[in-house]
This record gives sequence, C-alpha cells and structure tokens, in this order.
Amino acid sequence: MANLYFENSGAAKELSDDEAQDDIESVDLFKVVGAGYKTHVPQVKKLTLRQRLKGFPIISLIVLAAIVMGCILAPLLANHDPTGFYIKNSNEPPGGEFLLGTDSLGRDLYSMIWFGGRVSILIGIMGAAIVAVIGTVYGSIAGTASSRLESVMMRITEMCGAIPSILLVLILSAVIPGSNIVTLAIVIGVTGWFGLARIVRSEVRQIRNSDYVLYARSCGGRFMYIFKTHLLPNFIPAIMFVVVSAVGSTITTESTLSFFGLGLPVDVISWGSMLSLANKALVMNTWWVIIVPGAFLIATLTCITNIANYYRKENNKAPSNL
Amino acid sequence: MKAKRITKKIIKRAILFVVSMFILSIVVFLLARIAPGDPLVAFYGDGIETMSEAELAAARTRLGLDDNLFIQYFKWLGNAFQGDFGLSLKYKQSVGKVVMPLLGNTLILGVIAYAVVFVIAILLGTVAALHEDDLLDKIICKVGTASYYIPTFWLGVVLVLIFSVNLGWFPSSGAYDVGKQADIGNRLHHMVLPLIVMIASHFWYYAYMFRNKLLDEFRKDYVLLAKAKGLSRRKIVWKHCLRNIAPTIVSIMAISIPHVISGTVMVEAVFGYPGIGNLAVESAKYHDYNLLMVTVLLTGAFVFIASFAAQTINEEIDPRMKVAKEIKW
Repeated sequence: MANLYFENSGAAKELSDDEAQDDIESVDLFKVVGAGYKTHVPQVKKLTLRQRLKGFPIISLIVLAAIVMGCILAPLLANHDPTGFYIKNSNEPPGGEFLLGTDSLGRDLYSMIWFGGRVSILIGIMGAAIVAVIGTVYGSIAGTASSRLESVMMRITEMCGAIPSILLVLILSAVIPGSNIVTLAIVIGVTGWFGLARIVRSEVRQIRNSDYVLYARSCGGRFMYIFKTHLLPNFIPAIMFVVVSAVGSTITTESTLSFFGLGLPVDVISWGSMLSLANKALVMNTWWVIIVPGAFLIATLTCITNIANYYRKENNKAPSNL
Repeated sequence: MKAKRITKKIIKRAILFVVSMFILSIVVFLLARIAPGDPLVAFYGDGIETMSEAELAAARTRLGLDDNLFIQYFKWLGNAFQGDFGLSLKYKQSVGKVVMPLLGNTLILGVIAYAVVFVIAILLGTVAALHEDDLLDKIICKVGTASYYIPTFWLGVVLVLIFSVNLGWFPSSGAYDVGKQADIGNRLHHMVLPLIVMIASHFWYYAYMFRNKLLDEFRKDYVLLAKAKGLSRRKIVWKHCLRNIAPTIVSIMAISIPHVISGTVMVEAVFGYPGIGNLAVESAKYHDYNLLMVTVLLTGAFVFIASFAAQTINEEIDPRMKVAKEIKW
C-alpha cells in the first residue's frame, strides 16, 4: 500500500513542480487522493473519415446510389415516354435519338431503364422486408419455444427448404391471380425466409439463456418485449448479410419470373420484364435489348453483394499452420 | 450388430420420407385446387363457350372436379398409388405419359452438371485455399463471385446470342436434332451451352465454401504436427485436410441438390431443353396443375431421398458422429 502512495506522490510532485515552483513547501510527501484516482480514462482517438470507411465498399455504394437516384429521378432523366411505342423507330441500335436504342416494340430503352429500375428495386426491398419479418419472427419463436415445438418448426423449414425454391415460386405465382408488384414480392418473400429463420433460431438459442433475458422474463416481460429489447438488437449483426443479399436475390427471382412470362406483365416495366423480350431480340439479333437491362441488373446486384459481404463476419485471422 | 443398426436407421429414414412426401403432396394438392382459373377452360380451350351446362357438368364429373377437396385428394392418392396421376390438362394425355420420356433428358443434364460442378468446386476451392491471399486466390475469388451473381437466365440468353446466333457454333435449343435421339455426339453438342450456364452459375458457391472450410482446417494443430513430422504440403492437404472435410463435402453436396435442380429448371426453360424443368415452367404458365404437381412431387422425392442418403453415408464415413451418438446417455 505504502509503495503505491509513494509512487503517486512522486508523480504528483513532478506535476506540481511545473505548476507552482514557489509553493514547494506545500507539496507533501503523501498526497491524499480520491477513490477513483487511478480510474483509467481511455483516450478516444478520433478516427478520420478515411479510416472509418476502411473496408467499406465505397465504389459499390456510389454506383448503387447513382442507380437508385437515377430511378427516383426517372421522370427528369427520361427523354421519351417509357410506355410509348415509337413503331417507326423500332429495333434502333444505341446512339442517336434513342440513347440506348429501342426494342422490337419500338420502346425507348434508356427511359425504360430508369422507370423499370423503380419497379425492380421496389420489389427487391419489399421482398427482403418480407423475408426479414417472417424469418426473424419465426426464428425467434422457434428459438424460444419448448424443444418439441422447436424441432417441429425447424423440420417444417427444412422440408420447405428442401424443395427447389424456383418450383415453390412457380406454384405460388401460378396459384395467385393477377400478378402485380405486391403479389410478386409476397410470393418471392414467402418462399425465401427459411435460411434466415434457421440463422435467427441458432442465434436466439445462444442468447435465450443469458442472465439479462432471464431477468427480463422473471420480471414478467412478454415475448414481444424481450424480442424487441433483447433478441433483435443482438442478432441484427448476424443477419444483416442475409437480409441485404435477400434484396439482390429477390430482384434476380423477379427478373427470372418475368423473363419466363410468369412475373410482371410486359406492360409493367421492370428490368426483368424488359428481358422477357429477349427471345424476340435473339431472332432479330438486336444485342442491346438483352445487354442493356442485364448490365444494369448485374451492376445493381454486384453492388448489393459487395455491401452485403461487408456485413459478413470476417473469417479466421489466425496464421495458417500449413 | 452394425448391419442391424444401419437397417434400423434406413427404416427410420424411410418412414420419415413417406411422411414428408405425404405432407408435400397434401400441400401441393391444396394449392393446386384452391388456385383460380377453371381447369375446364384449360382443358377445352375456346371450345368451352359452345358447350351447354349439362355438358359442362358431365365433363366436371368425368374429370373428378365435382367432389369436395377431401374426396378429391384421396381419390387422387389412390390413383397415384396405381401409377395414374391424372390427366394433363394441356397435353390431354395422362401425366405419366408426358413426364416419362422427359425424365431421362433431365437426369442426364442434371447428373453431368452436378458431377462437373463438384469436381470443379473441390479443385478450385483447394487451389484457392493453397494460395490463400495470393494473386491467384484473389483472381479466382473475383471471377467466381462475378459468375455466381450473373442471373442464370441472362447468362443463357447472352451465350445463345454469341454462340448460336452470331457464331453458329452450338444449337440454341432442344436436346437433340430430329431423328438423332440415340446419337451421343449430337446430344452432347446440344448440351454444351446449358452445361456451361449450369456450371458457371453454381460452382462458385461451393468452391468458396470448400475454400473457407479448408482454411479453417489449415489452422488446426494436427497440420502443424504433420508439418513437424516432415510430411510434404501436398500430402498434408490431400491425405489429412481433405479427408477431414470429406463429411462436410458430402453434406454440402446433399444440401446443394435443390439448388442444382433450381438451376436445371431455369436452364431448361431458357434453352427450351425438353425436360422436367421446362415442363414445370410451362405447366405453371398454362395452369396445368396436375402436371405441375407431379413435377414438384418428383423433384421433392428426389431431393428427400438424396438428403437422407447423404445423412446415412455421412454417419458411416465420419467416425466422430458415431462416437458422439454412443457416448450420449
């Protein structure tokens, strides 16, 4: 104990030497200190913007932001009516009056891209939201339920997950009448949450036995309360990757369905329904009808994937033994 | 003793399989029946407008559409056990007759694609893991990710545009030319583009999984021991690490089956390849529910069998699993 005080008094002396040279007498050998005098005050180093953004896929973010902004501002950017048929100018190659060319119905691809992006991205976000809501709620219920109920619930997701997803989507899209944006997003969302539910369940099972959840429950916290305050904030980092990539996969599924003629009708413009004219384009050998919507689709998907990968947990950083 | 244990397991799995198929068939049947769109319209087309009420009612009775859902389901189930899955409303034939000839085509495409995808995935995964963070690894990762995120159908269309329309190297659709059904060369020629699409859109997902599994494996202590013992790098990787992740590979291969089947469905539809997948898309388009049901049940059965087989194989090849089971009391 004494040692400790001495150490400190030395330091105190040095300090006071600088401050008050004339007042040497007042510096005691033993300085009285308060209770928390050795509390470590962490030095918060302010990171520069550059350091904070390190590893974040900035380029993807910028490109994605540009595409999204373009779609939001579609009426300003479009120089033709996206639904108009310029029959005289059908199958015109890119360049000239129609910036990205026209398709076999004589529609302006450049204007359609921006308006179509609205629909595609909207479906992507709606589908991912549906996936996120169903997956987290189902997973949390399964994770907190009794072991018997849990195993039944997990069996169900396993069984549904075992059926090829495209077939599920095909059945549902054939069963639900009149496809529009909302029904399509629901169909895709309802068939896509099984993987997420499994991840949420395993996360919840780790959290559910911790003391704070026990405390909340013994205080009479209802399921929704615990879900909101304890479970959700804890597993959000783990599911970010899945949710963000669900946006991408929903967009892909939508365009696949529309391409097969099972999704949006041709007059509702999306990137997918633009591609449903691909078969005609193959006959006419008009490559731009295929490449242009595809390029936008892939650019968007790549950006979303890069951003999603940022949220993925880093793998083992230990050095290899090999 | 061992044989007994295995048969017990197989019986258990078989029961599970029957139950799963039963539930699946109920769900699909209900979905198909509550769906809108009059099946009679699909069956008779425009001719329905000229038919009288009595004729319509008779047709309904003949097609078994006038009972309630329960009776319809059990009738259907009873017929299904005798191999009769009902009429295809579009092809006006029994579903079995429509499906059977196409089953082979799909199996050929699917099995070849599946095998090639996994050979490539294991090899590329190993190569990438061996060159961790090298230029080679980075290139493989970038190219792989790009190929994985290109939508399957779009890649198919672009390949048709380049190789069939412009270069004329490969046919754009079908499984064989007319009258050349038995000609293997002709079939392969038709299969090149679909196979490329299947491989490009699937291999990376698995290669990346294997790569990460191997990287985890390289960080285990036994690798250090083997190295200290003086084993060569190649021996450590091929004889120790790959053997240790073999159970993982098997279970990933089992889980991947629905994924690969999804791919086959899309590829068949894009290339107009006469197979089950193409049929499924067509029947969904034309609301041909009997046909759709059978295609879904067929693929479902296939997937369930494969995943149960993989579980059984895994328990046999992985001693760790057995020990874990027996210690538990």
